[in-house]
Amino acid sequence: MSILVNKNTRVLIQGITGLQASFHTKRMMSMGTNVVAGVSTHSAGEYHLGVPIFSNVKEAVKQTKANASLLFVPAKSVKPAIEEALQAGIKLIVSIAYGVPILDVLEIHKMIKAHDAVLIGPNTPGIITPSEACLGVFPENIHQKGHIGIVSRSSTLTYEAVLETNRAGLGQSTVIGIGDDMIAGSHFDKVLELFHQDIETKAIILIGALGGAYEEKAAAYYGTIKNKKPLIAYITGFEDFGDDMGYASDIITHGKVTIQDKKRIFKDAGALVIDSIDDLHETLKYIK
Amino acid sequence: MNIHEYQAKKLLKQFKIKTPKGRIAYTQNEALSVAQKISDKGPWVLKAQIQAGARAKGHFLEKEAQNVSGVEVVKKLKDIPLIASQMLGHTLVTDQTQPQGKLVSKIYVEEFTSSVRSFYLSFVINRIQACITLLVANLTDNILDLAQKKPESILRLNFDLNQKITSQDIQQILSFLDLPQTSLAKLKIFVQNLYHAFLELDATMLEINPVGLLKDDSFVALDAKISFDDNALFRHPDVVQMHDDYEASENVLKAAKCGFKYREFEDGNIGLIVNGDGLALAVHDYLKQKQAKAACYLNIKGGVDEDKIAQSLKIMMTNPKVEGIIINILGGFLRCNLVADGIISAVSEIGLNIPLVARFEGTNKEAAKEILSGHHFPFLTADSLQEATLKLLEAMKEND
Repeated sequence: MSILVNKNTRVLIQGITGLQASFHTKRMMSMGTNVVAGVSTHSAGEYHLGVPIFSNVKEAVKQTKANASLLFVPAKSVKPAIEEALQAGIKLIVSIAYGVPILDVLEIHKMIKAHDAVLIGPNTPGIITPSEACLGVFPENIHQKGHIGIVSRSSTLTYEAVLETNRAGLGQSTVIGIGDDMIAGSHFDKVLELFHQDIETKAIILIGALGGAYEEKAAAYYGTIKNKKPLIAYITGFEDFGDDMGYASDIITHGKVTIQDKKRIFKDAGALVIDSIDDLHETLKYIK
Repeated sequence: MNIHEYQAKKLLKQFKIKTPKGRIAYTQNEALSVAQKISDKGPWVLKAQIQAGARAKGHFLEKEAQNVSGVEVVKKLKDIPLIASQMLGHTLVTDQTQPQGKLVSKIYVEEFTSSVRSFYLSFVINRIQACITLLVANLTDNILDLAQKKPESILRLNFDLNQKITSQDIQQILSFLDLPQTSLAKLKIFVQNLYHAFLELDATMLEINPVGLLKDDSFVALDAKISFDDNALFRHPDVVQMHDDYEASENVLKAAKCGFKYREFEDGNIGLIVNGDGLALAVHDYLKQKQAKAACYLNIKGGVDEDKIAQSLKIMMTNPKVEGIIINILGGFLRCNLVADGIISAVSEIGLNIPLVARFEGTNKEAAKEILSGHHFPFLTADSLQEATLKLLEAMKEND
């Protein structure tokens, strides 16, 4: 078991023929991902890396029964690409590109909600269930099938956490980067809920950051769960150089929020709070 | 991206938002002459232009500027040069700057506006609810304190994209602030124009603190702060032109020219080179646990050019504060060997007299390690961030 993606996930790749897309598609397939279709307006009817190419998502879904889409399209094209995927009935979308304008993201959010779909990203390494499915740009050969669910805003810290769970011999059930843009498609609390429903996941690592209030929402949710799985929370950020001007963003969060504040609410909710990646080693021993 | 108050006001004028008459000045003489052009009788307001708020409650670091804050009302024309000279070339510290403050290189000279009432108003992207939120409050000494302890004293109205600001919304704002009913029509135009500006400019934050209500029931933006969505700047070449290089340090600019992000911390003596903020944070937090501190970090995310990597490495290697360097690279699309080549190229040119530890993970990590070990410079390598950190701290002790 795992969450959101597994060996039965039939992956469609929008923008499959690009340089980066080709590089990562090849890697995803070598990691066991079932890539069934690609969409590209230029090469429809051809095969790329052995994958059939279609001119639009609707046709690809009709022909291949793809049920998840990974977007390798430039930031400016993310909104129309998501719209197309949703209209073709896709319910899980992963958007890798960074640089999607915020106003586009607001509109994307409305569409995702209206279609009752799940969006991972933008600005994310994606989602991976080791040995089953990788929808994204995770490094090769570092993931091991196992029992720790990992969810993070920072992509590179995700990899450090993966290496530590390997070192502890626990491996990962599913790893998700929710993305580090102003607005994330999926929030921490939703991912925590999914990890709690998954039998394979024995414990969860959550890597949060300064800015916004996804951590607060997740801690509040975690505090209310009856049969809690152990949650290790690591909150980090550079407090020295916030580039925010004015008061508005601090008013939204009901006052200025520090790393210590975010750590405290997780502690209060019953999570194990760590101060550095190095602490994962000792904390994971406790979970065993 | 942020801009200065005078630039924000110029933009707002294009959206038919009233602002006080004002001009920018770079010297004390210029301040005097623009003041005369603005109005023949005072008072005038002199406002230090830095990209941070709370200027009126701020103070200057230099002794000769102890008597002024970042915003001064000046009644007599002859006093303008002295006050301008105390602001210009001096360092302003406010609640919203770092403790080292920001250098003031220009001041905005405005006519003094006498308003009947004033209040706080802003539009901001609401990250949790994925909408745009309008915040309104009566002026207070500390609005953040209010936000924390008496949230009901700040009005929040959420707007979906494509959702218009209605007359009901405006009536709600008017009642909340207890403004005269006669100002309703003008308030509506003012708020709608601001919202229009927020959307058209792809802003993430537009703050008017304060808005002034004039005797004739019209509203004026007495201050203006705008932050832009970096991801949408491609739609606004005119805004990009407004970027003030002087707000960043020389090293930050040099790195930016290579397409990379460089930041300096307040103290510390270790340089971090990474390809992803997370990798820097991981080392930063571990260093803290070992009672050590980072001096600066360089993020070469997206780097595919050996020359640019070498160029930016030199920025860090020539920073006198840096007594040791940790390179923490996780290769994906960026190949580790490319970074190793960049290191060799930089070191060959400027030498290496401080310890340097490289930790490579991911694509071509073995090749990268080979490149470094095949060289006569005393590079150290490590397989985890912990090992890299401990090796560097050890080597720095020996180097002392």
